[in-house]
Amino acid sequence: MGNKEQNSPEIDSLINTDRLDDHLASLRYAEIIQRALMPDPELLKSVFSDHFVLFLPRDIVSGDFYYVLRNSSFLCVAAGDCTGHGVPGALLSILGISFLNDILQLRSDMKANRVLNMMREKIMKALHQTGDKAETKDSIDIGLVIIDCNTGAIQFSGANRPLIRVRNGEIAEFKPDKMTIGLDPLKEHPFTNQQIDSLAGDTFYLFSDGYSDQFGELTDKTFKHKHLKAVISSVAGLPLINQKEILESTFHEWKGNTQQIDDILVLGFQL
Amino acid sequence: MMKLAAFRIRNFRSIVDTGWQSISPDNITCLIGQNESGKTSVLEGLKVFYTGLISEDVLRSDLSLPEVSCRFTIPEGWLLKVTDNPGTELKELLGGLTHIELTRAWIADLSSVIVVSGEISQYLDSLEDAWRLYLNDVTIKLQQEINQINELENTRADLIKTESDLRAKIAENEPGWRGLRFFCKKPSESIAAQSPGLKNQLNETRKRKEEISNDLLTRQAMKKTGESWKRLKEKYDLLNDHLAELSVKLEERHQKMTLLMRPIDDDDDLEWKEILQDYRKTRSERDQVNADLDRHIAMSGYIMDGSNEEDAAFSVNEIIQSYKSEYNSEILGKKYFEFCPVFELFEDFGSLLPNRIDMEDIITGNEKVEGYKAARNFLSIAQLDYSFFQQPSSRILKQKIENLNQSLTHNFQDFWQQSIGRNNKINIQFELDHYSAAYGDKAGKPYLEFWIKDQGERLYPKQRSRGVRWFLSFYMELKASANVNKQMVLLVDEPGVSLHARAQEDVLKVFDDIKDKIQVIYTTHSPHLVEINKLHRVLALQRDDLDSLRSTTRILDPLSLSAASPDTLSPLQSILGNPMAGEGFSNKKFNLVINNTGSFYILNAIIHLMGFKGKISVIPSTGVSNIPLLCNILMGWGLDFAVILFDNENEIKIGELLKGSLYKTDSDNREMILKMKDGVHDSEDLLSTLDFKNFILKSREGITVSNSEFVREHEMPRNFLFSRFLSDVKAGLIKIQDFDEESTENFRMVIGMFKVLK
Repeated sequence: MGNKEQNSPEIDSLINTDRLDDHLASLRYAEIIQRALMPDPELLKSVFSDHFVLFLPRDIVSGDFYYVLRNSSFLCVAAGDCTGHGVPGALLSILGISFLNDILQLRSDMKANRVLNMMREKIMKALHQTGDKAETKDSIDIGLVIIDCNTGAIQFSGANRPLIRVRNGEIAEFKPDKMTIGLDPLKEHPFTNQQIDSLAGDTFYLFSDGYSDQFGELTDKTFKHKHLKAVISSVAGLPLINQKEILESTFHEWKGNTQQIDDILVLGFQL
Repeated sequence: MMKLAAFRIRNFRSIVDTGWQSISPDNITCLIGQNESGKTSVLEGLKVFYTGLISEDVLRSDLSLPEVSCRFTIPEGWLLKVTDNPGTELKELLGGLTHIELTRAWIADLSSVIVVSGEISQYLDSLEDAWRLYLNDVTIKLQQEINQINELENTRADLIKTESDLRAKIAENEPGWRGLRFFCKKPSESIAAQSPGLKNQLNETRKRKEEISNDLLTRQAMKKTGESWKRLKEKYDLLNDHLAELSVKLEERHQKMTLLMRPIDDDDDLEWKEILQDYRKTRSERDQVNADLDRHIAMSGYIMDGSNEEDAAFSVNEIIQSYKSEYNSEILGKKYFEFCPVFELFEDFGSLLPNRIDMEDIITGNEKVEGYKAARNFLSIAQLDYSFFQQPSSRILKQKIENLNQSLTHNFQDFWQQSIGRNNKINIQFELDHYSAAYGDKAGKPYLEFWIKDQGERLYPKQRSRGVRWFLSFYMELKASANVNKQMVLLVDEPGVSLHARAQEDVLKVFDDIKDKIQVIYTTHSPHLVEINKLHRVLALQRDDLDSLRSTTRILDPLSLSAASPDTLSPLQSILGNPMAGEGFSNKKFNLVINNTGSFYILNAIIHLMGFKGKISVIPSTGVSNIPLLCNILMGWGLDFAVILFDNENEIKIGELLKGSLYKTDSDNREMILKMKDGVHDSEDLLSTLDFKNFILKSREGITVSNSEFVREHEMPRNFLFSRFLSDVKAGLIKIQDFDEESTENFRMVIGMFKVLK
């Protein structure tokens, strides 16, 4: 009975460290699994003429995820942002990736908005969201692009996440629907489909809100979406690997010694 | 003000418990089911809810007593207007209620009480429970107090005896002649030594006895109240035991009646009458004694705390007020029942206009006479009472009757024209006459005779078509109910039995015409009295065991119709086999055969939504396997047709079959099989999942399979859901712009398929 009281602080510390190590080891392993579910660099290289992924999880595992799937008919690219971060966010991101795989295998002429409509059904069912009572409000924001392999036509549909296209230094933003993948507070509406005009050399950006929502060290304000757009605009024309470096260094400069508040994901690609 | 919203019937004929069944919100509710399924029992159950009068033949063989509950909608705050001085808590409850439940329950002597049930009674019961708990507490203390008093009395009796013994002993030890003590020898030392000890004991005993006596003196009031309580309790137990004995006798009689399957004539059974009277008297006495007992127990509580009787009585009044509302379920039940709609049963025997009826039967209210209610209605409409017929001048009486005949005829013709668009010049006549000497006992007695004249021909009601007689009688029922000046629930048993199909549809028109003022619940076997677009009106009744009349009645609401047997649903199936009027087989339109009725609704909704004006008549088959038969019939009739087949295994097979046989005969080589695109397994898959949820299911649950698979997996009432969807579309509640691009793309595809038809 009294043993616990008799433990020396060193032993206690050791026990706790062991426990901590166990948790950390679990999380590290979870990180490996989560990364394995996301597209590997070889796939990215093979489907894009150039690309970068700025992926800075706040914790070891992340609520942000990126997704690429190619088959004989289309290429699908998406960047998702699950509610929360860390383990809960990561669990939801795995659901999201799994659902995207299911849906995109169904047919060859898939439309971007229908993918999001179907994904919402799956999330609502998985999380038992019926709108009847107080349920989990977890959801995924996502920007999703489908490129027709035969015609090159691009469709975009967004759940709270936009698509940015930079053409000859000019930035164009394709607005998302102001809805999430999950239960809407009032009523679910269909997502809209946008046809995106594309030329050789166009660069596209999909990203989570972590970058723009980061608080700066020198000010109590967030970075903001318009400044992210400005940074993207300013690096336009640079090779994408350099764009990533600038985006990353800009982020760290802004953040300084303050805490990172959310996962960061910016995916840039050229077709 | 009170509108019937739902009902629940328990222990009534074949019904054990219907559960709560909702009335159709559009005020017309239709009960379908086979013979003996319990349809009429539901109507009778509702009728007796209103009248309270039942006979033993409604009892079930287990002799459980009937209970009928009705839930009414009311405007918010209305209960406060009709309830005088409710307490604070009750006021708060009543103020927020938008519905009220009343239950009529019968007891062993077949009398009944109507009580308010549901939320209000729950509140009142909670007060009653608290009151009972309080009384139980007091009773326990009272019993302890009485035990203590008994113990004290016993101890005092023992002490009195001890005292008496001690006195005797002391007397023995002390010589009686005191004055001689100085001259005599002193008593022996040993005896003398005992006296002081005995005296001490005596003093102790006396002291103890006095203490106990004083204690008992303070408990005198308690003793008195305990004795009264015992007397009341014994009286209550006696009455209760007697009541139980009488109940057994009543049950024996009910049992006998149930076995005989016919009512027993009560009038000549004096012993029975005595038992019944004794039961009622004993019950009333027992309830009174019980109330006295409760009051007495409560008063004992205060007396135990030291109050005198007067103060205790005052306190009891106060505590009763705090524990018990001024109202109980029965008082409120009675009060609210005054505002309850009138439940009137319209059935052929009593409600159809007779040829003739004796005035005596009308005056005595003899409901067993054919046409009694119709005659009563007639007098009510004409605002006549018996004194009218005692008019001394026969000439004036004749003139008055003539005037009434004219106004009644005029009004009925208006109704006939407005409600059902018919223009017959029907004249109604009644006459007062007296039986001739040939009628024996009846000779000289007055009777009313009715006639219906049409184009000069004068016939008795029974000689006229059943349609005219039914509508005329129904009209009289409606007119008479207008005189009652109360809301009405009209229970119509088998309206228009043996009427021609058109006349049956006219019955529905009349129901639709009156539904804003009168709620109608009717039973039918006829497909012409069920509107396929309004399946929400249907409640299906069937026995639990379809082959046994001893089994109990089950009611299936519109959402559960798919669970009903084919025989129960036969009126619906008949309509499904015969598409809606004007939309059936057509030689002027292109006939489009589809797999089932659900698809019939969906395709018609799409046609409506898309504003398609092409001449297409959608013909639902009764299942995929019957499509070839339907095609054969259409071919046999030489009608233009095509078949739409959905992307599922059965329909693909049927497509092959049709190609291989029937369509070989098509000389024009037209494309007569239209195949839906991949993934559209059934008609509901033409809607996107989101639209399907929003407009058909009206729910938000995530669906990860096709709509048709979801319907199948969840065994949903497809026809009901889809017919409601079509109704909503036709009513303009859902418009094409409400659908997403996935649905509209599919709708365009369907219309595109129609356009290629020649």
